Amino acid sequence: MNKVQFEQLDETLYHEKLANGLEVYILPKKGFSKTFATFTTKYGSIDNHFVPYGEEEAIKVPDGIAHFLEHKMFEKEDGDVFQQFSKQGASANAFTSFTRTAYLFSATGQINENVETLLDFVQSPYFTEKTVEKEKGIIAQEITMYDDQADWRLYFGMIENLYKNHPVKIDIAGTVDSIQDITAEHLYTCYNTFYHPSNMVLFVVGAVDPEQMMEFVKANQDQKTFEEPKEIKRIYPDEPMEVAIKERTLEMSVQKPKIFVGIKPEVLHYSGKSMLKHELAAELAFELLFGRTSDFYHHAYESNLIDESYSFDYSLENGFGYALIGSDTNEPEQLIKEINHTLDQAIEKWPFGQADLDRIRRKKIGFFLRALNSPEFIANQFTRYAFNEMNLFDVVPMLEEIEVPDLQAAFATVSSASQRSNFTIMPPKKDRQ
Amino acid sequence: MFQSIKIAQGVNVHVNETTQFKTINFSFKFKDRLTPEKASARSVLANVLQHSNEVYPSHTALRMVLDDLYGTSLYIDSSKRGNEHIVTLNVETVNDQYLSEEGVLEKVLNLMYVVLFKPNMENGLFKESIFLREKQTIKERIESIFDEKTRYAQQRMMEHALPGHPASIQANGSLEELEKVTNEQLVKEYETLLNKNEIEIYVVGDIKPDMIASYIKEYFHFEGRDQAVEGLSTELKSPEESRVIEYEDMKQGKLHMAFFTPITFRDEKFPVMQLMNGVLGGYAHSKLFVNIREKESMAYYVSSSYASQFGLMFILAGIDSKLEGKAVKLILEQLEEVRKANISDVELGQTKALLINQLKEALDSARGQIDIYDQYMELDEAFEPDYLISKWNAVTKEDIAEAAQQLSLEMTYFLAGKEDDSVE
Repeated sequence: MNKVQFEQLDETLYHEKLANGLEVYILPKKGFSKTFATFTTKYGSIDNHFVPYGEEEAIKVPDGIAHFLEHKMFEKEDGDVFQQFSKQGASANAFTSFTRTAYLFSATGQINENVETLLDFVQSPYFTEKTVEKEKGIIAQEITMYDDQADWRLYFGMIENLYKNHPVKIDIAGTVDSIQDITAEHLYTCYNTFYHPSNMVLFVVGAVDPEQMMEFVKANQDQKTFEEPKEIKRIYPDEPMEVAIKERTLEMSVQKPKIFVGIKPEVLHYSGKSMLKHELAAELAFELLFGRTSDFYHHAYESNLIDESYSFDYSLENGFGYALIGSDTNEPEQLIKEINHTLDQAIEKWPFGQADLDRIRRKKIGFFLRALNSPEFIANQFTRYAFNEMNLFDVVPMLEEIEVPDLQAAFATVSSASQRSNFTIMPPKKDRQ
Repeated sequence: MFQSIKIAQGVNVHVNETTQFKTINFSFKFKDRLTPEKASARSVLANVLQHSNEVYPSHTALRMVLDDLYGTSLYIDSSKRGNEHIVTLNVETVNDQYLSEEGVLEKVLNLMYVVLFKPNMENGLFKESIFLREKQTIKERIESIFDEKTRYAQQRMMEHALPGHPASIQANGSLEELEKVTNEQLVKEYETLLNKNEIEIYVVGDIKPDMIASYIKEYFHFEGRDQAVEGLSTELKSPEESRVIEYEDMKQGKLHMAFFTPITFRDEKFPVMQLMNGVLGGYAHSKLFVNIREKESMAYYVSSSYASQFGLMFILAGIDSKLEGKAVKLILEQLEEVRKANISDVELGQTKALLINQLKEALDSARGQIDIYDQYMELDEAFEPDYLISKWNAVTKEDIAEAAQQLSLEMTYFLAGKEDDSVE
């Protein structure tokens, strides 16, 4: 077992890669009574075109299948796994993103039993045509619920605008129609391809004894047999740098228009430290341009162009990403214009120097240290970083290394006019004068 | 967990000295009566105070100094509990020991003082442009509830079920009352907040209780104050209509049901009612989830919740607009099971285990510690989690059935998609 100490942060991380390929990380937290564990596969909604395990030919699977599979993992021949976790005093859950499917629990007791339940239920698929059919009603209601959420429609509408071919543009849950095509056989194919231990990470954080927990996980995994690990062949289409759709508007039952300006980054296949540096530099650049202390924010807020719903976000994964800036607003066109103007000005003349960087860097370090109070943040973010060959605990040292030209260089990859698009949600016409 | 120190009549400091967190958390809670007028005015006040002040006269200047203090978070929010309205100054700052810089804490304490006592004023009033802008912000906040249909449906149901009752008054007040708020009134509310409101101050982090309490006493010098005046009555009266249906342009129907129970937070049966809610619909093993979602495949979410301050229980479900009748019938069938004590040992054990887990987990965050302590302090100054846990453990199925029998369904509210285009 490897032990890595982060002295300034007062944290120690334990790690081992097991014989079957599973990466196990354990982070004990002093003074905590709860333990939080995530068991995550590097498999999300974008992995819809791949060569199934043991086969030669690539196949395409119905939209929404990774999320459907996540739902169905909880049902077993002898009942529902939630019941088992509840008996052991644990709250369990799961989520599917573009790139990951995570199963998790938090508990303040019976940690060995709960870790065992977590490993065992994710490693024993049970799908029948009957149980698959039954789930379609539930997921249809989940999709319908999201369909009514204007903020979700705005977010996904924007991503559809940015991407022409890449599967990131497909809603994670699929559509009510697309999930009708899902069969038990599909689920087994996806499971066998993506749920091999060598494609997964277990992260346990909280009130745990690291040596004991590592032995416990090893013993559990040693009892089971797995196929030989094979490299997973995922196929992604070519994606142009230009956006797919420049602008779109949707009418919904809202009280006030909502807008996003989205920016598609140059497709950069970063991983490891270079990805970490690029990502942090871009985040700092957007914080300076669009954060609470920016000229843009000050002007837009004081002139009633934006309200408390205002947000901006920058996200990068291997092969896709986006920057989003938006708000509820009574003047959608004006706001879109001013966001674009802010971007244009920064391209023309970079406005930030050392003092700006120092301030925003301190803010970011403080935010990171605050987040380390949260076991959920640590487990989820560490796993995301690990899948991109980055280390979460490198964030502070990397922030300290970054210089002004790094911000400028990162910004240059996600700013040009051809990479921008906008999406607007409008209240129904009859309600407007 | 917390050590309490009275620094003036009606002003208490509660400190939990702990190394569990990398940060130090402060909450200053100013408690007043809950009325729609006060809620509206105090929400604007909260925003005006967090916008800027005499020392940092613009929003940008204040936010920049917070960035410099390692992204110290500072915000003031409006909330309500029972018939109280609470304005809270929340501050979280990184413990110096994780930084290469010292003296951050003292600067943060100074900033909190400035935020509370040195507002941005002009000729005895708050700066007019800031007052107007923040009034607008609260208006937008109230209006934005419409965009989130679950919250909107809950609000509409409460307005129909208990008009004028503290349970249906929003923490941000109402558009009607907000419209009437003047700058002069805001100044009065500000003076009341500082000089008349009861104040509970919470501190969680690696800090000495005596040191921080005397610091706050010397530096903030809050005057003594009397107990707050009586608030609105929280007595429940049955609504005139028991079923309301409204329509919006949406795909999913939102079913909300309201029940009355005589068991409130202050009742000795309170822990029984918490378990009753858990068995019926609090969790993924609960009757509503297992039967309405898993067996019938009718809903993605279906759950119950217990508003113990007033003695209310709610059931919420997102369903196909055509299936309201069926959903109500199935939900009431499950309630009937609980009333007949058809509860397995497993269900009872699971619910106890999860309630206990939830409480212990909440205590693993500084905010959770503050919220729980602030709530339970009313029952027992020396509140300890184990006390509540022992109460839950003693509850039987018969106790739960008895509590369920006392529930009365008072309102079924349905927010449906437009009739002509309901989903297939």
